[in-house]
Amino acid sequence: MHAPVRESYLNASVGIRSWLLTTDHKRIALLYFGGITFFFFVGGIAATLIRLELITPQGDLGSPDFYNRLFTMHGIIMVWFFLIPSIPTTMGNFILPMMIGARDLAFPRLNLLSWYLYIAGGLITLTALLLGGVDTGWTFYEPYSTFYATGYVILTVFGIFVSGFSSILTGLNFIVTVHKLRAPGMTWYRLPVFVWSTYATSVILVLATPVLAMTLLMLLAERVLHVGIFSPQLGGDPLLFQHMFWFYSHPAVYIMILPSMGVISEVVPVFSSKSLFGYYFVVWCSIAIAVIGFLVWGHHMFVAGQSLYASLAFSFLSYLVAVPSAIKVFNWVATMHEGWIRFDAPMLYAFGFIGLFTIGGLTGLMLAALAVDVHVTDTYFVVAHFHYIMVGGAVMGFFAGLHYWWPKISGRLYPDYWARFAAILAFFGFNLTFFPQFILGYLGMPRRYQSYPPEFQIWHVLSSAGASILAVGYALPIFYFAWSILRGPRAPANPWRATGLEWSTPSPPPPENFSTTPTVIRPPYQYDRGKPCMQAGDV
Amino acid sequence: MSAATIWRCWLALILLLAATTASAFVPLGNFNLPVSLTIAVVKALIVLLFFMELRASRALVRAFAAAGFFWLLIMITLTGADYWHRTDARAPIDQTKPR
Amino acid sequence: MSEATSPRAIGIQYATLAQEREAVTLGMWAFLATEVLFFGALIAAYLNYRVWFGSDFIAAARMTKVVLGTANTAVLLTSSACMAMAVTTFEAGSKRAPVLWLAATALLGLAFVAIKATEWWLEYQERLVPALNFDLSRYGGIAEIFFVFYFCATGLHALHLLIGISLVSWLAIRIGNGSLVPGGSTTRLIGLYWHFVDIVWIFLFPLIYLAGRTT
Repeated sequence: MHAPVRESYLNASVGIRSWLLTTDHKRIALLYFGGITFFFFVGGIAATLIRLELITPQGDLGSPDFYNRLFTMHGIIMVWFFLIPSIPTTMGNFILPMMIGARDLAFPRLNLLSWYLYIAGGLITLTALLLGGVDTGWTFYEPYSTFYATGYVILTVFGIFVSGFSSILTGLNFIVTVHKLRAPGMTWYRLPVFVWSTYATSVILVLATPVLAMTLLMLLAERVLHVGIFSPQLGGDPLLFQHMFWFYSHPAVYIMILPSMGVISEVVPVFSSKSLFGYYFVVWCSIAIAVIGFLVWGHHMFVAGQSLYASLAFSFLSYLVAVPSAIKVFNWVATMHEGWIRFDAPMLYAFGFIGLFTIGGLTGLMLAALAVDVHVTDTYFVVAHFHYIMVGGAVMGFFAGLHYWWPKISGRLYPDYWARFAAILAFFGFNLTFFPQFILGYLGMPRRYQSYPPEFQIWHVLSSAGASILAVGYALPIFYFAWSILRGPRAPANPWRATGLEWSTPSPPPPENFSTTPTVIRPPYQYDRGKPCMQAGDV
Repeated sequence: MSAATIWRCWLALILLLAATTASAFVPLGNFNLPVSLTIAVVKALIVLLFFMELRASRALVRAFAAAGFFWLLIMITLTGADYWHRTDARAPIDQTKPR
Repeated sequence: MSEATSPRAIGIQYATLAQEREAVTLGMWAFLATEVLFFGALIAAYLNYRVWFGSDFIAAARMTKVVLGTANTAVLLTSSACMAMAVTTFEAGSKRAPVLWLAATALLGLAFVAIKATEWWLEYQERLVPALNFDLSRYGGIAEIFFVFYFCATGLHALHLLIGISLVSWLAIRIGNGSLVPGGSTTRLIGLYWHFVDIVWIFLFPLIYLAGRTT
């Protein structure tokens, strides 16, 4: 416990200025981690209040207007200030340069600017929400949001607009980094899948977010100028707003899931001591998901009034986009087959991801069928579907990555039994929360409703009970991670016996990552009878 | 890129500008928009290939340059799928309304 | 023309200056791709409305000032040629020529803004400005929607142009006082930005000014 402290990126320079003005991608990752954790809990508080409200059929926790503001806040915070940044800005920032053998990202100062833009946008939106928020839903459909909604629409939207530039710059940074900063020997097909996934995510960030920026600007123009560009008063079409909004927001959900898939692709081979099955398929499926994901947005608008021809096209394309995701699931399972499985916390989260993402994905296919969607659209079926993907998928992937790379990032080990317990608790809590919601939706319970007919109550009670368990599962890591920093045993360079370049540096790494640029001599995930064959030649 | 090339490009751009403005006053019906957009694409290509030096750039740079335009095409085409076909199938109550 | 005597400093993440140059070039093109989608989203919305509204939308376009618009396009195209001359002469090692060409670029940019301001003033006189004085009973709702697009598009474009003029002026000063020498990427990158603002206008021009001129 009292061994001399080696120089690492954590202690190389001290003082608040060395953190707030840092250009070290690892410190910026930690700055982001603070932000997204904060917003996760803010969004979680909103979720808690929602689930408390829904225990009883009548609205008793505040007015219907308050409930509308609550679910809007939950959606906005979770989507833009937690899920979209989560893995790319924390693990992407920290691990990606190390995985490719680089000393930093291509544009370190731009990286810091990205963080400031994120925080500025977050604070603006948070202020708006604390002042009273908005009741439009996170989707801001017009003309309600522009002509009829009371509340702080302009401020909220402006905050999201600002944070969008953070996304764009981060994506730009990652793309150039992966093209130009790979170490000698690190060819594209030797890159870990996490890098490919982050690259695909970055392509979406760069190409989709500007459309959101323009959409929000036009929304602001309509609200500020009181001229109905998308509203029927002058002849405008509310559907055009929806087209523009979903052109971004559907690829946005792939921004949220692709990095998690990348994490799973890292975790499963390590904890199966086996090479990833079908590497080429997995990496090209990541690209396919990013590309096809741009072609399916109209499936959010099947009943909104778009042409039947467009609905058919989008339905077909939505079926297509499920294929690469399914291929990945098969490859992960095939990786585990005849592997030597270790049930550490990262792997438990990965198991959870694979099962829950599959359920979420299959229900997505159900929703892509026009005839089914007419019945279950805007019900809890949709709510359950996207929470299975976002929480059962993306958040589980986030926790998997957090538990996997924690020793590298902090230089400490956390207690495995508590971590495994939290993972299992979260898995059970999650299913109890969200599976009843599929049933609710199928039975006809609409989403965004504060009060409901009493025959639905049993399912809501089960869901809220599950939410309380899930909350404990999410709160536990705070305690054991804090313990690990204060009193945890020091982590070796490669505690999991993995093969990537990041594991050939000390834990925590020095500021410049590598004292000499490594030379890569083999593909990732190579194991020789369980022994890792490191990618870096000089290790 | 030599000064001569730059000014030759400039001349081409100005001539294309004259052409596009003139064509707007020629009654071509539905073809006015495609003609002016095609001329705009040619002008943009001159600026991209010569002024922005894409002609002399690596394939990767050209891919980056093309990506934005290609994605925009996706957006225009697929939203067009809605707007071009919105009134194909009419509800019974609207059957007798003039188009 | 003397070369810089001390080697240019490059970031620790780069091994060579050439690598850094290639990286910043890719970065700039990635940024321009985001701008294509930013303006492109507005253009896509415009095109959809043009299909959806048909003749009413096109009729509104007829009220734009095609002579001033054409003149402005010529101004901007010429400014691009001047910018290209600035980059070429700078990389050839000259110091005075690029400063003059950059000044010409900036002046033409200002000319564009001035002509645009004139157009806006004329439109104000004709009561075509939404939210300010748009004459709804005279022109109709669809025309008002068109003019929202018009002012958003030309306004955003003008904003980008003003940023470009500032960058070009800053560049001229730094080349003029000798603090910027060939071998880096700054001049070329600012050139890329300027040409891109020109390309946006190349597409906005026919969409805004040339619709419905034959009826």
